[in-house]
Amino acid sequence: MIRFEKVTKTYPGQGHPALDDVTVDVEKGEFIFLVGTSGSGKSTFLRLVLREARPTSGRVYVAGKEINRLAGWKVPGLRRRIGTVFQDFRLLPNKTVSENVAFALQVIGGSRSQIAELVPETLELVGLDGKGDRFPDELSGGEQQRVAIARAFVNRPQILIADEPTGNLDPGTSVGIMKLLDRINRTGTTVVMATHDAGIVDQMRKRVVELEGGVVVRDQAQGAYGFQS
Amino acid sequence: MHLRYVFSELGQGLRRNLTMHIAVVLTLFVSLTLVGLGVLLNQQADRAAAYWGSQLEVTVFLCRDGDDNPACTGEVTDAERDAVAATLEDNPEVSGLRYESSEEAFDKVKQLYGAERFEGPNPAATADALPQSLWVELADPQEFEGVRSAVVGLEGVSSIRDQRAVLEPIFTSINALQWGAIGIASFLVLAALMLVGNTIRLAALARRREIGIMRLVGASGLSILLPFVLEALVTALIGVGLAAGALAAFMWFGIAEQLSDSLRFMPWIGLSEYGVAVACIAVLGPLLTVVPTLVLTRKYTRV
Repeated sequence: MIRFEKVTKTYPGQGHPALDDVTVDVEKGEFIFLVGTSGSGKSTFLRLVLREARPTSGRVYVAGKEINRLAGWKVPGLRRRIGTVFQDFRLLPNKTVSENVAFALQVIGGSRSQIAELVPETLELVGLDGKGDRFPDELSGGEQQRVAIARAFVNRPQILIADEPTGNLDPGTSVGIMKLLDRINRTGTTVVMATHDAGIVDQMRKRVVELEGGVVVRDQAQGAYGFQS
Repeated sequence: MHLRYVFSELGQGLRRNLTMHIAVVLTLFVSLTLVGLGVLLNQQADRAAAYWGSQLEVTVFLCRDGDDNPACTGEVTDAERDAVAATLEDNPEVSGLRYESSEEAFDKVKQLYGAERFEGPNPAATADALPQSLWVELADPQEFEGVRSAVVGLEGVSSIRDQRAVLEPIFTSINALQWGAIGIASFLVLAALMLVGNTIRLAALARRREIGIMRLVGASGLSILLPFVLEALVTALIGVGLAAGALAAFMWFGIAEQLSDSLRFMPWIGLSEYGVAVACIAVLGPLLTVVPTLVLTRKYTRV
């Protein structure tokens, strides 16, 4: 589903590459953790998948297509297959929960009936049924992140990218979010999650790819956050 | 893309930066009005030139009894007149020559000012008071000095009148007004461009969250751009509408009711010229707002 082939990314004006000769293959339906310290290249990895950046060398394939050669006008099409969740939720404060989720469908041309069907369904999936008319600032952090996940998942993307989704949440709430991501993964969606949270990684026992200074130092099925000998 | 969504975004955008949009509309209104005025004046000048250009003649007035010119000793004799006419006919710059007697001149005057003033026991003037004249058509309307020097000082010639000298001040003032309007308009256009630029910056700032999310979920560049372009179009159309109204008021109160009534000797611009001016500003107005919008929003819509 996602395939990096000898990918190197050097940002202009920086001597050291953010990603250095990275080769990673993520299967369809897989759940992988991307771990590493700040500046290890996690964000660059995610940006390359979304084609917010292009590799300096090497190839990035998403859903079977080499995306570094994708024409600009086809990029929106790529992003429609990828849902994205961030640490800071990025909800629209002047829209209700339902409107926030519906927004993602509206701007890509979803029909009214599609919206009427998918939005409540997705809110129920993330455990927010009955809260559709609330505004984001009336919700807890965990609930806001659920809204963000609902927005990312509402058009049923093949891939869900989560960049530190539990970074702003307390451990108890984080567990709920992880269960939700796991549930989404079980529907067949490939999930790539970048995180610092060792407890979560240890608990989930999923594949772990660790980056350090832009290099993959570990790629371990059912791994834990730190090295375990 | 939902039309309803687009229009609600448009309404929100217009409300959000209302004062900025009003500033853009007002600046556009005044600058487009001035541009329109410039176009109208330009057409007025063309019209006047086309009308008179064919009729511009040099008139050689011959001596009459009691002429103001001391060189005239009395009424021009037939021999003197024939000599002047022959000189003119020989001149290569002359393409046509017509003689007008005192009676013909008197008829023209009567027509112009109303016959009743010249009849009865106490007329304003008689045929005797008007000189005979030779009307000279020029091969090239710009070259009249040669004709003047050929006949000036000949026996029986009282004075020479070139119609261009009469019309020159009118053309000069029309030209001055036209360039004045366009000059001021160009400063205002510059101001309008900068205002549009700032408005877009503000709008993009206010919408940066939405735009970020739209890009993320895969909205097309066009759908991100559309609210901006529509905002620009709406302000432009309001500005064009106001300017068209102001120009219509100028046409009606300024030209139809005032000038064309008091200055009848001149052909005045009408509806078709107004149409041309409105067409010009209807193209220019949207260009002034949409082009900077497209240029400035490129960095927000680039994926």
